[in-house]
Amino acid sequence: MFDRNLWHYIDWLLVGAILTLCLLGVAMIYSVTGAVHGNPSQLYVKQIYAIVLGIFALVVCLSIDYRTLADKSHFIYIGALALLLYVLVFGTLAGGSRRWIGLHVFNFQPSEFTKLVVALVLAKFFGDNRQQVPTVVELGVAGALTLVPLALIAKEPDLGTAVTLIPIYLAIAYLAGMRMKMLGILALAFVLLAPVAWRYGLKDYQKERIVTFLNPSQDARGAGYQQIQARITVGSGGLAGKGFGKGMQGQLQFLPVATNDFIFSVLAEEQGFIGVLLALGLYLFVIVRALEAARLSNDRLGAYLVLGVLASFTFQVIYNITMSAGLAPVKGLTLPLMSSGGSSVIATLAGFGLVLNVRMRRFTN
Amino acid sequence: MAEDRRKIPLRISTLRYVLYVLFAVLAVAFWVLQIAQHATYEEMAENNHQRTLALRAPRGLIFDRDNRVLVENRNSYDISIVREHTRNLDRTIHLLSDVLGLNEASVREVVERHRREPTYEPIVIVQDATLAQVAAVMARRLDTELPDVVVEQVPTRRYPAESLAAHLFGYVGEVNYQQVASDGLDSGDIVGQTGVEKIYNSLLMGEDGAKHVVVNSMGREMRTLQEVAPVEGRRIKLTIDEGVQKAVEEGFRQLGYAGAAVILRPDNGEVLALTSLPEYDPNKFAAGIDRATWASLTTDREKPLEDRALQGRYSPGSTFKIVVATAALEEGIATPDFKVHCSGGADFYGHYFHCWRHQGHGTIDMEQAIQQSCDVYFYTLGNMLGVDKIHKWANLLGLGVKTGIDLPNEVQGLVPSTEWKKATTGEKWYAGETMSVAIGQGQVSVTPISLAVMMATIANGGTRVTPHLLKAVDDGNGWKAVPEPAPKSVVQLKPETIETLHKALSMVVNQPGGTAYYDWHKPGPNTADLAGFEVAGKTGTTQVISLSGAKAAAGKTDENLKDHGWFVFFAPADNPQIAGVVFAEHSGHPAAAAIPIAKFAVETYLAE
Repeated sequence: MFDRNLWHYIDWLLVGAILTLCLLGVAMIYSVTGAVHGNPSQLYVKQIYAIVLGIFALVVCLSIDYRTLADKSHFIYIGALALLLYVLVFGTLAGGSRRWIGLHVFNFQPSEFTKLVVALVLAKFFGDNRQQVPTVVELGVAGALTLVPLALIAKEPDLGTAVTLIPIYLAIAYLAGMRMKMLGILALAFVLLAPVAWRYGLKDYQKERIVTFLNPSQDARGAGYQQIQARITVGSGGLAGKGFGKGMQGQLQFLPVATNDFIFSVLAEEQGFIGVLLALGLYLFVIVRALEAARLSNDRLGAYLVLGVLASFTFQVIYNITMSAGLAPVKGLTLPLMSSGGSSVIATLAGFGLVLNVRMRRFTN
Repeated sequence: MAEDRRKIPLRISTLRYVLYVLFAVLAVAFWVLQIAQHATYEEMAENNHQRTLALRAPRGLIFDRDNRVLVENRNSYDISIVREHTRNLDRTIHLLSDVLGLNEASVREVVERHRREPTYEPIVIVQDATLAQVAAVMARRLDTELPDVVVEQVPTRRYPAESLAAHLFGYVGEVNYQQVASDGLDSGDIVGQTGVEKIYNSLLMGEDGAKHVVVNSMGREMRTLQEVAPVEGRRIKLTIDEGVQKAVEEGFRQLGYAGAAVILRPDNGEVLALTSLPEYDPNKFAAGIDRATWASLTTDREKPLEDRALQGRYSPGSTFKIVVATAALEEGIATPDFKVHCSGGADFYGHYFHCWRHQGHGTIDMEQAIQQSCDVYFYTLGNMLGVDKIHKWANLLGLGVKTGIDLPNEVQGLVPSTEWKKATTGEKWYAGETMSVAIGQGQVSVTPISLAVMMATIANGGTRVTPHLLKAVDDGNGWKAVPEPAPKSVVQLKPETIETLHKALSMVVNQPGGTAYYDWHKPGPNTADLAGFEVAGKTGTTQVISLSGAKAAAGKTDENLKDHGWFVFFAPADNPQIAGVVFAEHSGHPAAAAIPIAKFAVETYLAE
């Protein structure tokens, strides 16, 4: 199943960039938890474990031919839905939502893996379709395939992760030749549905976040607090930053969940604009390099799969970095690769396993 | 398939360009925040995690002339809200009132009052909190439930002997708006509001220090960046003799009278004791006085907040005869052997004036007249002098003018003159009016402190010393004596005048027939040996009923209608070291209180 020759086709440059970002994340977690100053937090150690597990997952996803995986995608999809249902009923309750399945070592978050499953099943669905332009029915079926897990995740509630499924759908549909007119119609539908969603779909705290984003200073101590603190954190970093372990904002907890949602703010504070450019460059490199895999893919399935994986990744990267600069509403969206969080790291690395998988097998049939 | 192959790379490159644009936008956004607006955000970050806490400077200690501590400091705790890091003020107020056991509405009112101040200024909710309150708040703070509540240790004034010399020391309190505007003080400063605390506030007040600390988002101090230690206020030494001061007050308290007493050194005006009763406890003001206590002090009919020694104006009664005698001798109107016959009263200007002794004093000279306080003798002298000469000499001896003591709000007494009457009523002075002035009644009014100065002036032969309280200041390198204030006026009294007065005043106390003889020589509680220490003095009585009239008497008890008693003195008679006055309200005859209190004070002075 795994041809030794395939090793030569692994994109080591991409792997290197991904691991560099992972290590940057570990360094920031180490710094912000005050480990430099002898704080006994072991969060960075947990993160290293997660990365090791993630590399293992990457290798697994790399080893099995993506076409084989795609053939089993309906089973995997049903399994994923079952897990999401399980979480809704039996999941560990934390912070008012059920997102995790408590394992002994860490809490497993099925929604992170659902992104990959949705990418796989949509790639398979559009890949099987031989027509130049997907029909409305096909777009509708694919939309339904996306909306079911989306609804389940939103119900946890975890709106942030749920929303990341939408780019997967849009990206694959776009690549599959969806007309731009159709994209316009979808956008219009979104705009029209937004008030309905506002009225019925959003919880009060979610509404508050959006209102606050539009006018943060109105409530500088409440929900707008995080936004202002994020800008202060980033802005005070300056060109060269305050130095490793010297960021005040994160360490003194002015930023909530600094190791997670706001890890990029911490980077900006400690490493300054230079560090920001470096990290942005690395992310851009990773994304563009992975896009190459889609271009090089020898079948549409591979291209769709890569783009599906990449879509949620890119969406999350751009959204999180925008948010970390206080320029977007605060949502519980992690920065893939850098943020602490086992499921996120493992799922992301597994996703890149799929990307490498497609690239590596571009000459096989 | 061919179509397919062309379309996918095209759409992928489109996506790539979109990505380039998005990342470029992100880079620009970070450039704006981190480079263009860096300074703004850097300052905001500093303010975020740095906080400046005031370190309150203790006020300077106050000592008596023998280095006994009169006023010191203790540590108390203030509980305040710092709104800078408040996320929900309502919740904080609610929780804090609950924890402290306070009325939520009143806490809200306090916060409301300070609403316009900068948010980093602590709003003090509880001054001088109990340890239970401090503990309750600290526990909540550890749970990060009250991150915006601070417990501040504050040095607070302590008056160890409680109400001792309350009017003299005064009390401290938070600055009011006028003081903030006029004296360059900061809101929240504790300053002297009365007494020595007020007059010497600039010496006593230290300089607050500051501590710049790093706090986390919960407001908890993480570490100190910089600390500027507070500078303690100057230590000052008063001229007060704690022993004498205590003796005087003890005397009043034992006998149960309100009143005032001042004892000073006639050679330089140093005040050894100065008191007014009833007193109050300045400790109650030290950490902010509560409304109920304040209300009870201000509405008390005994007026405990009034400093009778400086602000009470009373008729001097027979003590004023010293002035009339001095004027007569100095103006050459009469010699010491000038004799008058007293038959219990005399006619002047068609009106019969009584002597207090209805059977009369017979024919007496000036010394006897002073010794026995004969009214007829002084009606006669007064009539010969006229009111203006009495006025002149009263002023020279210290009456009807301010003494200039270093205490706030001294009141000026009144000795009438023709000019004064013209100016105030537009009428001319009638010679008959001089009669009551001559025996210290009528419109004559004096403060106890001014009578003490008069006695000092008589004792030292004509130098109207300025009574003062500040003896030395510790500038950090030990005590530096403070120069004595210059006398207010100096007249060289004729030796004959001095001799006559000293002898006559000594006879008052030490010869049978003197108005103070019997009571002074009555065995008292003190056994100090007064031998060789001859006291000279003069009694006086202020008629309360005739002054205030029946109208004012309505609703008052008999006790309130009793006369006030005076005793003025200096000692020893031949070489005076101390001079003073004791004034006892509603004590009737001076024998009831004024004389024994003065005696107790003199004995205490001697014993030291």
